[in-house]
Amino acid sequence: MIPIACEGSIRPCPGPDVSVLRFNVCAPCPSTAAGGPHSPSLGLRNHHAIQDAARPSHVAINAISANMDSFARGRTAILKKQPSHMEAVHFGDLGHSSVNYQPQETRSRLSKTVDQVLRDNVALPHYTHFTELRGADHLVRFWLEAESFRSASWSRVRAHSLNSVKHSSLAEPVPVSADAPDPPQVAPHAASLAQSPPERRGSSGSETEPRPGTPGTETPSRQQTPSRTGTPSKGQSSSGLRELSDKLMKSIEKDAVSIFTKYISPDAVRPIPITEQIRNDIVAKICGEDGLVDPNCFVIAQSVVLSILEQQHFSEFLRSHHFCKYQIEVLTSGSVFLADILFCESALFYFSEYMEKEEAMNVLQFWLAADNFQNQLAAKKGQYDGQEAQNDAMILYDKYFSLQATNPLGFGDSVRMEIESNICREGGPLPDCFTTPLRQAWTTMEKVYMPGFLSSNLYYKYLSDLINSVRADEFITISGQGVAVAAADGDRSGSNVSESSQTQQSARKAAIKILKNFDEAITVDAASLDPESLYQRPYAGKMTFGKVNELGQFIREAEPEPDVKKSKGSMFSQAMKKWVQGNSDEAQEEMAWKIAKMIVTDVVHQGTQDSPGKTTKVPVLLQFPFAEVWASASRSSVLSVHSYDPHEEPKAWGTPRD
Amino acid sequence: MTGAPYNYSYIFKYIIIGDMGVGKSCLLHQFTEKKFMADCPHTIGVEFGTRIMEVHGQKVKLQIWDTAGQERFRAVTRSYYRGAAGALMVYDITRRSTYNHLSSWLTDARNLTNPNTVIILIGNKADLEAQRDVTYEEAKQFAEENGLLFLEASAKTGENVEEAFLEAAQRIYQNIQDGSLDLNAAESGVQHKPTAPQGGRLNADSQPVKDGCSC
Repeated sequence: MIPIACEGSIRPCPGPDVSVLRFNVCAPCPSTAAGGPHSPSLGLRNHHAIQDAARPSHVAINAISANMDSFARGRTAILKKQPSHMEAVHFGDLGHSSVNYQPQETRSRLSKTVDQVLRDNVALPHYTHFTELRGADHLVRFWLEAESFRSASWSRVRAHSLNSVKHSSLAEPVPVSADAPDPPQVAPHAASLAQSPPERRGSSGSETEPRPGTPGTETPSRQQTPSRTGTPSKGQSSSGLRELSDKLMKSIEKDAVSIFTKYISPDAVRPIPITEQIRNDIVAKICGEDGLVDPNCFVIAQSVVLSILEQQHFSEFLRSHHFCKYQIEVLTSGSVFLADILFCESALFYFSEYMEKEEAMNVLQFWLAADNFQNQLAAKKGQYDGQEAQNDAMILYDKYFSLQATNPLGFGDSVRMEIESNICREGGPLPDCFTTPLRQAWTTMEKVYMPGFLSSNLYYKYLSDLINSVRADEFITISGQGVAVAAADGDRSGSNVSESSQTQQSARKAAIKILKNFDEAITVDAASLDPESLYQRPYAGKMTFGKVNELGQFIREAEPEPDVKKSKGSMFSQAMKKWVQGNSDEAQEEMAWKIAKMIVTDVVHQGTQDSPGKTTKVPVLLQFPFAEVWASASRSSVLSVHSYDPHEEPKAWGTPRD
Repeated sequence: MTGAPYNYSYIFKYIIIGDMGVGKSCLLHQFTEKKFMADCPHTIGVEFGTRIMEVHGQKVKLQIWDTAGQERFRAVTRSYYRGAAGALMVYDITRRSTYNHLSSWLTDARNLTNPNTVIILIGNKADLEAQRDVTYEEAKQFAEENGLLFLEASAKTGENVEEAFLEAAQRIYQNIQDGSLDLNAAESGVQHKPTAPQGGRLNADSQPVKDGCSC
């Protein structure tokens, strides 16, 4: 498909496989203004082609659209018009998806392995921070540097060898000179190189030219360097190339030595824990007899470090607030995938509840069961008992597909027959036997239920739970003198009994208690903090939304701008508005209360930071437009916050103040 | 959003684990439907069922994930352990092997769930006294050694089924109250919702228990 001028409609990426289409909103095309005579029809043709390619979801949408309520109907209309137009930009924060459902779609961005984390730019800073606190960040840094060294070195070697190849093809065939490296030199690289017999090296230039990327090229590169002196070279480019080769090789060496000095050498400030044997091996690989460094010299050390990280510094990371922060970042990035939800247990917990309230548990149940079935079958790699698999599959069939199904899902006849034949296959069902209904179930969940879920209270609750985990953990971590005790109280939802006794004990300390009941209150010890500073924020502008005056009333400074649609986190404002307007008073209060807690904790945290000059990373809380939320909550006179005497009996937080 | 109104304050996530054929699905079914499935097929992967019960005067919804016991599903079911507030570990009192495998299940449970997860050991098929293969005392001792609650139950007669789920819930609730379980943490296995009485204020809906739980 050729990208064509279109009038702001979708422009598919050219590609042979139309079943996977990616769509970019068309940049203004030069001929758009003219609106050439071909545009409408071409656009239409593309539109149909896209529709065809998107057939599964198209069918699903048609099938379910009749039952959707008005909330989803608007979106269905859009989907029907352009069924594959799933850009988040158009749907706000509905989420993103690919047309083609992959049964192997098992990646949730919210559930990571250590290897995935190390390769993920979003998760990595959180992990680094986490390991810093544990004094293990040198492991992470080493792994990263070694990894980038490895890939950079290979590209440098290839560049070098390409140059050499180019160079040598200009030259006369190089005789196998006396100073050619011995065959054993190839040994350290045996793992990555094909063993080339020495005789080949001489004329290897032209032979390996058609295969620039293969290991074979390493040999000529090695050959070229020492024999360069003896090689008659022709052409002016040769010396330039030589210099470049030299530079490349030298740079590899320099990097290797630098990494060695920082992490491997026994004299290093923070050496990584590897055995002497590994260390010697690395030395040997760096100081190869041919003067060249093996780009893979750190690989063994890397795997040692990786397993240390995995065993000692990972499961705690997953439980830490750092990981929560990462998850929050993903979930508020504006595009949440269904995979993110379904393959992350904590998100699934909330999603299951949502699906049950929507009376759609069956869809989810089926998807879980069939997906599990397929996964365990696929994991066997063909070595499974066909009869057993057939029995399992029949259980699912009886439950969801048969005409007497106990939990019918409304799959059409064609699907049912396909399943029947898949199950009754000679030798038992294959691991993809349920792919078609799985895809339909996936699409249904994605198009029908996910949008609602992402705007639901439940999702908001999930996010605020994540935030709370961050708050609580961070609070404990950064706690200073007396704050520690109070913080420990604070993040407990403990009983009044224990808290009041703690209150008495910690009255004199900087007691910042975050309490949940309406009988309790946010206590700010005025002696340790300038109350005014609580509400002054260095990040002025949109985040400065108000001050507390001497009467303790909250004066809003910035009017919320509900018409301004923010791309990030707009879901929250919408959800919050909908939520706040739609629900009863105490729900509003509760929510505003929670927000107040979060903001005060966060702000006080900032206030207790020692160096105001230090660039504090903006706490994740401030990245949300809670200002808007706060403002709208305040607007309804639900809550006002004022600092007061900790000993004064708090009263009637439930009654709105004006 | 359609669906039943909120009439529960908490949701606790449970998992049910144990060897195949010990009666996990039947326990779940007996609990949620009050019926005994004589002829139920084995579970594929996971299933879940829910029921609301009252714990210390609070309405709590239990979201119970019933896992397949077959060894072949072990790898896939492991991913559901995480974030469970409570775990029911079930064995069959008439089959000793199911009791012997408990240490393996317990290891998985301890490794994959939170440190605060409440684990209750259930000896199912208590109605088949004649074929008993594991004594109450030894199982009780095992439970005590490992810090587990313990009950013998029968999914068939319903004996002790409610009690099993309830006891775990009570323990979870207690943990929330004394602070060892932060119910506002994302991986706690607990969802907390404010109860929404019609038009009243939250403090009017006062907690029946004076040492009020976090609300």
